[in-house]
Amino acid sequence: MSITLDQVTKRYQGSPVVNDVSLNVGDGEFYVLLGPSGSGKSTLLRSIAGLTGVDHGRISLHGRDVTHVSARDRGVGLVFQNYALFRHMSVADNIEFALRVRRMKAADRRERRKELLRLVALEGMDDRLPTQLSGGQQQRVAVARALAHKPEVLLLDEPFGALDAKIREELRRTIRQVQRELGITTVLVTHDQEEAFALADRIGVMNLGRLLESDKPDELYARPATRFVATFLGAANLLLARQTSEGIRFGTTPVNARAVERVDTGREHEVVAVLRPEEVELAPTREQLQAGYLAQGQVEEIVFTGAIERMRVRLQSGAEEAQLAGPAGDSGTALIEVTRTQPEQRAFPLAPGHPVFIGVRRIHVLPTPLSSFSVFAAEEADAKKLSQHPLLAGLAAGMKTRVSVRVDATLDTVRAPGSKPDLAGVAVIAAGPESARQVQVLLQRGAGEVLVLPETVVAPQRILIHWVDETPRRATLAVSASLLRHVPAEAVYVGILPEGASEAARPQGVRTLLDARSEAQAVHGLEMRTELRVGDVVEQLAGQLAESPDQLLILGVSNTEVLTERFNRLFTASPGWPMLIVYRSA
Amino acid sequence: MAFRQPSILPGFGLTFGFTTFFLGAIVLLPLTALVVRTAMTDWNHVLEVVFSARALASYRLSFGASLLAASINAVFGFIIAWTLVRYDFPGRKIIDALIDMPFALPTAVSGIALTAVFAHNGWFGQYLEPFGIKIAYTWIGIVIALTLIGLPFVVRSVQPALAEVQRDLEDAAETLGAGRFYVFRRIILPTVLPALATGFTMAFARAVGEYGSVIFIAGNLPLKTEITPLLIVIRLEEFDYGGAAALGFVMLLISFVMLLTINLLQAWGRRRLVGDRR
Repeated sequence: MSITLDQVTKRYQGSPVVNDVSLNVGDGEFYVLLGPSGSGKSTLLRSIAGLTGVDHGRISLHGRDVTHVSARDRGVGLVFQNYALFRHMSVADNIEFALRVRRMKAADRRERRKELLRLVALEGMDDRLPTQLSGGQQQRVAVARALAHKPEVLLLDEPFGALDAKIREELRRTIRQVQRELGITTVLVTHDQEEAFALADRIGVMNLGRLLESDKPDELYARPATRFVATFLGAANLLLARQTSEGIRFGTTPVNARAVERVDTGREHEVVAVLRPEEVELAPTREQLQAGYLAQGQVEEIVFTGAIERMRVRLQSGAEEAQLAGPAGDSGTALIEVTRTQPEQRAFPLAPGHPVFIGVRRIHVLPTPLSSFSVFAAEEADAKKLSQHPLLAGLAAGMKTRVSVRVDATLDTVRAPGSKPDLAGVAVIAAGPESARQVQVLLQRGAGEVLVLPETVVAPQRILIHWVDETPRRATLAVSASLLRHVPAEAVYVGILPEGASEAARPQGVRTLLDARSEAQAVHGLEMRTELRVGDVVEQLAGQLAESPDQLLILGVSNTEVLTERFNRLFTASPGWPMLIVYRSA
Repeated sequence: MAFRQPSILPGFGLTFGFTTFFLGAIVLLPLTALVVRTAMTDWNHVLEVVFSARALASYRLSFGASLLAASINAVFGFIIAWTLVRYDFPGRKIIDALIDMPFALPTAVSGIALTAVFAHNGWFGQYLEPFGIKIAYTWIGIVIALTLIGLPFVVRSVQPALAEVQRDLEDAAETLGAGRFYVFRRIILPTVLPALATGFTMAFARAVGEYGSVIFIAGNLPLKTEITPLLIVIRLEEFDYGGAAALGFVMLLISFVMLLTINLLQAWGRRRLVGDRR
């Protein structure tokens, strides 16, 4: 491996900008770090270059641990967005800078310079000053300069950001060519997905300091694991569907679209489905649809963009048949994005206002267990207030999902076993003296996850994860991974050994921790830290939570009784912490 | 035949007229008067005054001390500007404001203050006295006075230039393997050099013309600690207007040549930085 990052964390003023990132980049690989501004991608790149120190974790280049090695001794080449050429030096002096520092002989320097200028197609420009060159040429000089000392790793920080489209494409090609010719391991940072697709062998998508997913471009596009990646890489319609034993259903309509991917079945639950605009089929009648029927709609808007036609279609047949995951409009209808190719346009010309039948060629179900939120409260006003809770609103906005409101006077009645669950997504209640029992009731009614929110909370910086026994482990990890993609916090798994556990049990406890960590990493792409404690579970968790108010607890249980019997204390504590209870029965 | 193009920014004619008028009336005319006054004086007298041993000694002192003071300011002013730009520390704003004090103070006040500190019985001077170091009434005192009044010029011209040095440049140099001193010498210094030269020039020009603060601390011994501006005042007090004008003319000439040289050097340096293309 050329570059190995192991749980790298960088904090600014306490909050992590780079959050537990682990990554391997192979020899000669072109790796693109993609993310919106502020996602921590540039900080991560600077950490690899050695210009920014890390607070936690290790960085290795070609097997050499360089975590504490200064930038000048790391032997990397770095290219900046604004070129960062030395303006008082000629092109030749700029390129020879690293060689001069290394006291290379003038003749050798000259030879190397000629070779580099040929590589970036700037022969004969030796004596120009940077100010006499165009932006594209300046960036070529910067690339040549970064390669002069034959670095083992080339790092590029938004190198095309300041260039116009045409030059950008040309330079992109040059960089790809140079990279192939030298076979140099390269990491490029960008916020432009098109650029990432054009260059990358592999793409890593970052958001809120976390590396969410890392895979080949086509894999990431076709099978994203997270909402963020689904919507950031290209356009995507997120739909709420139900996963049943027979397959995926939108409301009452079963989708028999080809290539629906299965997530692990079991209990019936709500899922998030990704529908790419190009996978939507439009037809004048239901019979003419070749793909699975989704809903009826009306064309709202059409934009011609040359090769393809972009349009937005309003779903008309309502929530019965398909629900968009996004925050629903008041009317209960919503818009989906559709793109059509020229042949499709010719076969079925459309104008705004036309009614259409919508079909689905292919959907992809996200493996996230958090689909939407349902707020429960006794009074309408309380429910409204709770649905606007800052933590919940932030999560819903980040997940681009909806918060629906249910008024339930008592939360007392437990449904008869065997009846259909009426719950969708994560149930949310306010913390209070009765909340342990309410959680119990909701779980027995079929909720898989319940979020308990105290009235005032500090934005969580640390998320504690614990499961009472092994049954809910998998689900708890999945929920944690999903939640952590939307919260800029650190994840800590707390393993607790019972008091008086024999010495022999300790290694076992440590192994559980390591297993949990590697499972989180391998299955869910979640990096977390681990802590081992000894003592009573409730005691230890309460003690840990009492340390600071900016924490959130994710608790996995397999038995609803334990909540009222053992964990009641955590629910009634004041001021209290947000808690997410995950329930899976054996 | 040049076709008159409407300018984007109107009013060139008017502003240019004002510029020439003001320069003419306020700068050029008095200077011409000085030259004319010198020319009208008896040539033998002019030569006698201008090349007298006392005058020659005063030139050496005035320009020598001014150059030295400007050089000291270039070094320490740079360090102060660096500290103010690069670091954030409590009291930074206060220090920043303090820099401008020599601008605001009447120069005579600075002179009195310096004398109070550096005289042989002053706060600081009395401790130097036993070591045989005398500051007041020697050329050292003059250099200190000129350094004080020139400092703001260097700091204020270097500050914005330093603030503009992109950190990326230093980062780039570091990843290319350069050490800190190398980065400073090859990257930072060349970038701020034009601004530093400007500050140096202004500090130097100000020092050459300084009178108020120097006469208090200089002791004014002919041939030893007598600066040219003082000599001019002495000539005036003797009602020797011709001699005073002649000395003034010499100062003007030397200053002009030195400032021109520095400006040309600077222009050359800037061309290298910005490039020939406009």
